[in-house]
Amino acid sequence: MRRISVVSAALALVLAGTAACSSSSGHSSSGGSGTAAAFDPKTCQGGTLEVLNQDSISKLDPARIYTSGGGNIPSLLFRTLTTRNREPGQDGTKPAPDLATDLGTPSDNAQTWTYHLKDGIFFEDGTPITSADIKYGIERSFAPELPGGAPYLRDWLVNAANYQGPYKDPDGIAAIETPDPKTIIFHLRKPEGDFPLLATATQFAPVPKAKDTGVDYDKHPISSGPYMVASYEKNKTLDLVRNPHWSAATDPLRYACPDKIDVTSGLDPAVINQRIATGTGQDANAVTTDTTIGPDQLAQLNSNPALAKRVAHGEFPATTYIAFDTKVKPFDDIRVREAISYAINRTTAVNAAGGTAVAGASTTFLPPQKALGYQPYDYFPAGATGNPAKAKELLAQAGYPNGLTVTLAHQSDDANNFGPKVATAVQDALKAAGITVNLNPIDDNRYTDVTGKPSTEPGMSLQYWGADWPSGAPFLIPIFDGREIISSGGNFNLAQLNDPSVNAEIDAINAITDPAQAQARWGALDAKLGQQALTVPLFYEKDVSLFGKNVKNAVPDGWRGQYDLARVSVK
Amino acid sequence: MIGYLIRRVIGAAVVLLALSAIVYGLFYAGPSDPALLACGKGCTPDRLAVVKSSMGLDKPLVDQYLSFLHAIFFGHDYSSGPSVRHCPAPCLGYSFETDQPVTTILGSTLPVSASLALGAMALSLLLGIGAGLVTVLSRRRWLDRGLNAVVLVGYAMPVFLVALILLIVFCSDLRWLPFPTYVPLTQDPAGWAQNLLLPWIALALIQAAAYARMTRAQTLETLSEDHVRTARAYGLSQRRIITGHVLRGALPPLVTMAAIDLAGIMTSAVLTETMFGLPGIGQALVSAVGSTDLPVIVGVTLTAGAVYVLANALADILYAAIDPRVELA
Repeated sequence: MRRISVVSAALALVLAGTAACSSSSGHSSSGGSGTAAAFDPKTCQGGTLEVLNQDSISKLDPARIYTSGGGNIPSLLFRTLTTRNREPGQDGTKPAPDLATDLGTPSDNAQTWTYHLKDGIFFEDGTPITSADIKYGIERSFAPELPGGAPYLRDWLVNAANYQGPYKDPDGIAAIETPDPKTIIFHLRKPEGDFPLLATATQFAPVPKAKDTGVDYDKHPISSGPYMVASYEKNKTLDLVRNPHWSAATDPLRYACPDKIDVTSGLDPAVINQRIATGTGQDANAVTTDTTIGPDQLAQLNSNPALAKRVAHGEFPATTYIAFDTKVKPFDDIRVREAISYAINRTTAVNAAGGTAVAGASTTFLPPQKALGYQPYDYFPAGATGNPAKAKELLAQAGYPNGLTVTLAHQSDDANNFGPKVATAVQDALKAAGITVNLNPIDDNRYTDVTGKPSTEPGMSLQYWGADWPSGAPFLIPIFDGREIISSGGNFNLAQLNDPSVNAEIDAINAITDPAQAQARWGALDAKLGQQALTVPLFYEKDVSLFGKNVKNAVPDGWRGQYDLARVSVK
Repeated sequence: MIGYLIRRVIGAAVVLLALSAIVYGLFYAGPSDPALLACGKGCTPDRLAVVKSSMGLDKPLVDQYLSFLHAIFFGHDYSSGPSVRHCPAPCLGYSFETDQPVTTILGSTLPVSASLALGAMALSLLLGIGAGLVTVLSRRRWLDRGLNAVVLVGYAMPVFLVALILLIVFCSDLRWLPFPTYVPLTQDPAGWAQNLLLPWIALALIQAAAYARMTRAQTLETLSEDHVRTARAYGLSQRRIITGHVLRGALPPLVTMAAIDLAGIMTSAVLTETMFGLPGIGQALVSAVGSTDLPVIVGVTLTAGAVYVLANALADILYAAIDPRVELA
């Protein structure tokens, strides 16, 4: 989830591939030209897949990339201990074994996780992959020279927070044991039932120590997946060819259909959509991992059934919301926060984000995915267009009978959907309740710098949060766990809530290894937090993305809501 | 001439030095912390400090600037882990975001921008001067008016609109050309020109409008001067008057304008680059700003400064060549 919001967005988006959209109604299996049932992964091989992207690929080093579920493009190169299972819809939110034989064996109250590696797994040079390679890959992600990866392992592993990586500290991390080449054991400092979901991240990809060239490893990371790097020009092109030492028998999840995959980056979104829609020449084999359908194609879908068939609908769990700093007046008063919750007009907010095709109104902080533990609630019913009368009543009770003036911080650009358009919709809605909203646009690049430092945090700001993996933990912990308040910057607990009962409940749920049980508890926690009006959820994310005429099996997975390059075919 | 060149070079060095100091100060003292960005989310203060020192950002600003200047002449080694990031002279800094020396980025983007700028400039001068002369010399009022209208519309159109229309018409509907991608001149000259044709046209349509108006105004002015009247009195043909006497007087302001435009296209045609998928210097700058990749920002800004200085010098020299009254003293 942290990946999502803003800062290193460019990279994160390309690699993780954001959401595509609305599989909710069972749309998802109609994503490909052929249906999922008719598609045969055994006969799909051949051709060159073309990937047309906006965002540059500036990093390929598995230590440095921040992905959800291993990302789209990185997952072609790197196998990890576990991976997302790449199924559409709700099924797709579960992890599956990748290099490991199973999802891991927890012991010691989920504080110790043991994995065994499959037989017959090799790097692109034919060297067998061992547990030491996975340990080494994790250790180098701790090196300050290779920053950028997800922070979880530094927090979770016993005594690892200050480990400086294998270059300065060759003794390695004692909390990761490799008793034999096939076994790896992780010792955590606290129970973490979500460990198998974290083990999908690229930091769990094996790195052969003999081939580690430090910062230069990025130029040609050693592949363990179905493809390897043929040529890589930073920020321009990445060409992948088959890895001859990858064995399909050990990797049933990646179909690896195309013989070659060529990625071109730095393109304009309108041009990407136009090229995929037109599909001349090579563009018939084109897909994109970071561009949602443009308004002009969206408008054509009803009248152009051929184009409508080339649209993938998925959902990435993410919420756009108003955050309050409860340490700042007047937002310390729950009646003011409730008044704003009542006054909000979610219809105009959704329209500002691009309409119901790409966003759905939301009254809960958790987006509507079962895997996150979603439980519906609406404590401050604003209806479709807001309830200004109720809001005025609450404001009067709070001592503002003549209304009040507040400032709303938002990104200066609409690209991430919490810019001026959505802010203006909020401003208009609150005006009806007698609340004058002054807008405070902040440059996208500085946004989390400003909002993430409690000393500079605005009282009210627009925010976006997506899940690092489909579970309540990465969605709720950084936002509501009091121990996650970081005063030096990078803070996401914007309400600055530090409630011992909430913290204790988070610890208790983390120890649960049964996903169904954990989901029920996360949902209940979200519902409990919702009563305090610490945020005003506005909408959840839906995206629609196009794929080329020759592209088959472009079925979005339930984890990231985007079609999976490891599964599409151009034959 | 040599004295002129020496003075010009010293002047350029002073300008670039001042520019580097300003850009350096502005961005490094700015509110964004590149180390925090590189460190990623959930970065603890301890880890931030280590990342900072590995990027050399923990030293005082002045030290950083001096070592930047030193590296331009002597290169710089950034040690990290098992490998050393070597940045050979002239080192304009090292991009930690993309893990390569800034000069490598410039080396790969400058040829793209130069290809775009030179071709677009040639085409727009041809179109612009041609259209400008036709509007003046044609006896047909409707041609003058018509061309004037076209020129005005071209002038008013934003480049992304022209680009999108060209792409939709020629690549999408008529399918006469593939959607452009950059092919290096050295690799395939025909492919290079074919792929750059649409971007050249897009820029030329806009630039040519300005040149056409300028040519028209200058030519009209020169036509009314005494020496032209004298030439006419001597019975010179209209063609000789135009090519030999009028254009000579009309060209100098155009040259100055074109030189500055050339530098402009080369360094800041980011919209054109993005629309046509050309990985030029403008795109490099925008992506560097997006990721607060300060060394690249400083490097690109300095290069842009150098391109402008060069273009100005070129304009002066051409000016002297065209107009014998001007001396490079």
